Amino acid sequence: MPPDNSASLPRGGRLNHAIAQNIGLILAGAILLLAVFGFILIYGIAQQRLPGNFELTSTVNSATPLVFAAVGQSFVILTKGIDLSVGGVVDLANAMAAVTMGKSLGSALAWSVVILLVGAGCGLINGLLVGLGRLQPIVVTLATLSIFQGVAIRVLPQPGGAIPAGYTNLLVNPGAPYALIFIGLLALGWFALRRSRIGVDLYAIGNDEAAARAVGINVLRTKILAYMIDGTLAAAAGLFLAASATAGDATSGNSYTLSSIVAVVLGGVSLFGGRGSAIGAIAGAFITTLIVDILFFSHVNPLYQSFYEGAFLLFAVVAGRVIGGAIGRRR
Amino acid sequence: MKRFSIDSRRALYAFAAAVSLFVIGELVHPGFLGLASVESILVIASFVGLVAAGQCFVILIGGIDLSVPWVLNAAAIVLTTTSLGRNAGAPEALAAALGMGALVGAANGIGVAWFGIPAVVMTLAMNGIIEGLTLGLSGGFTCGACSSYAPPLIQGLAHDAFLGVPDALWLWLVVTVLVSGALGLTRFGRATYALGNNPRAAVLAGINVGRLTVALYAASGFFAALTGVMLVGFGGQASLGMGDPYLFTSIAAVVIGGVNILGGRGNYLGVAAGAVSLTVLVSVLLALNVPDYVRSIAYGVVILVLLLAYGRDQN
Repeated sequence: MPPDNSASLPRGGRLNHAIAQNIGLILAGAILLLAVFGFILIYGIAQQRLPGNFELTSTVNSATPLVFAAVGQSFVILTKGIDLSVGGVVDLANAMAAVTMGKSLGSALAWSVVILLVGAGCGLINGLLVGLGRLQPIVVTLATLSIFQGVAIRVLPQPGGAIPAGYTNLLVNPGAPYALIFIGLLALGWFALRRSRIGVDLYAIGNDEAAARAVGINVLRTKILAYMIDGTLAAAAGLFLAASATAGDATSGNSYTLSSIVAVVLGGVSLFGGRGSAIGAIAGAFITTLIVDILFFSHVNPLYQSFYEGAFLLFAVVAGRVIGGAIGRRR
Repeated sequence: MKRFSIDSRRALYAFAAAVSLFVIGELVHPGFLGLASVESILVIASFVGLVAAGQCFVILIGGIDLSVPWVLNAAAIVLTTTSLGRNAGAPEALAAALGMGALVGAANGIGVAWFGIPAVVMTLAMNGIIEGLTLGLSGGFTCGACSSYAPPLIQGLAHDAFLGVPDALWLWLVVTVLVSGALGLTRFGRATYALGNNPRAAVLAGINVGRLTVALYAASGFFAALTGVMLVGFGGQASLGMGDPYLFTSIAAVVIGGVNILGGRGNYLGVAAGAVSLTVLVSVLLALNVPDYVRSIAYGVVILVLLLAYGRDQN
């Protein structure tokens, strides 16, 4: 990473510097804009009208679980880690929600807190194994994925259970995109954290762990915290998923392991750590969701869906590198 | 030679784990150590071992291959749909299946080496691309040729025995000797370890890093396809999703076999022992008749325990 010498840059250099520093986020924003316009265009052609409140609401509601899982994933990836157990935590939270919530909104809210704490506990296990056990994140979370999935199936052997209607209306209201409020709160939380000591430490560890240790950053504590935030947000994703399905399924979260990584990458967060932001991950989650919608409305044979998603992921990553490289050279 | 001794010790741990799991199996389920039982466990382990051979190559240079499930599945489908269950077309079908695997692997390598795409992203996207192509081209696996059987020749390879030992195990032995020999004795092997340990030093030492990376990913695709061929020979027909269990299992086998996930350390003998350990573990749990969820949890716990044992070894 080049040293941050923006203070000594000549006039006009600051803007260029800001662009180069945030190139991943800017590209993610550009792709998101393209995806939104692409969706409006394809939807308009297919349905002969513009998408309205219903389409906005359903897009937001289907993107919300992925937004939370991806933001969680981005915390860990910023520290140069990776979390393959996200899917297992989503499963576990989903299964617990379906079994415990019952009929009243009050008990549902109380159990939500418990489930978020369980998610934090899952993250704590990952964080301790990575931080104290000094094991590689990819293998630790591969093993804990298997464990969390097993526990989830123990909690809810067959799909079923029930989620109170009031809870569904609160989290993923089918009438209006209220879920945007939760995403907004998540973004605010990120802005606050980014400017705190913890945020700075996260980036420092991701960029150069040895240097971070040398300047007195508590690497162990910060890493454990990153995994705990990740686990809590993955559990939140499971709650949103349960709320929109109005029932539980101990395997419906499995796909979130890989899709959260895709969203983070599309959001311009570097898999090599220390670069990117949770805001990019939010954009990446919406891009991932919109691509599915675009494919649906363009009447692409659904059997080819994974082909186009894979090809799009490669295209976006290569385009990002080419554009980022060109801007880097111009500076 | 300190590096070598640690690697050997880790491979020994994996062997010890396999042997003790066999013994535990015999204790909880007498007859577990019978010849037929051991033979069938080893045959199933050989499928894991074949995928893990390719995974081992790319993990040795700090990469990973997440495209294994659908390359394996596509190879199985290519084999059955092009041979239509007849021996006459078997050689061409075999070449098509294995060639497809190697080509897809090479494409992964090109993306990683020349376009600088992170291996996780490249191979994840490739898995989706192959999944979409397989589903789309076979009409969601409803095509007329989709229900074809594997040619009798290939089915024989998976079921018959030579000198009392199943052919599948002979194949695995040959692969083990070839892979271990290539990694331990050849220039290619030394270049692979060098690249895994320090990419910049490998470039300075005159290794053609791009070409080597492409070759290793191509080998991974080839081995995934070979596993698909053996599996479809074993089961008779191809099915959708038959490759899914092999992704995480192959990575787990490589890791508990003592290969460093960051690259540069480990050898294939340990990986083969890792493949056996995981298969025996599953067989023991099956013999115990435990529910699925216990199997899933035990799987994760055993991997963690072995990893923690290795970690202490390193300190």
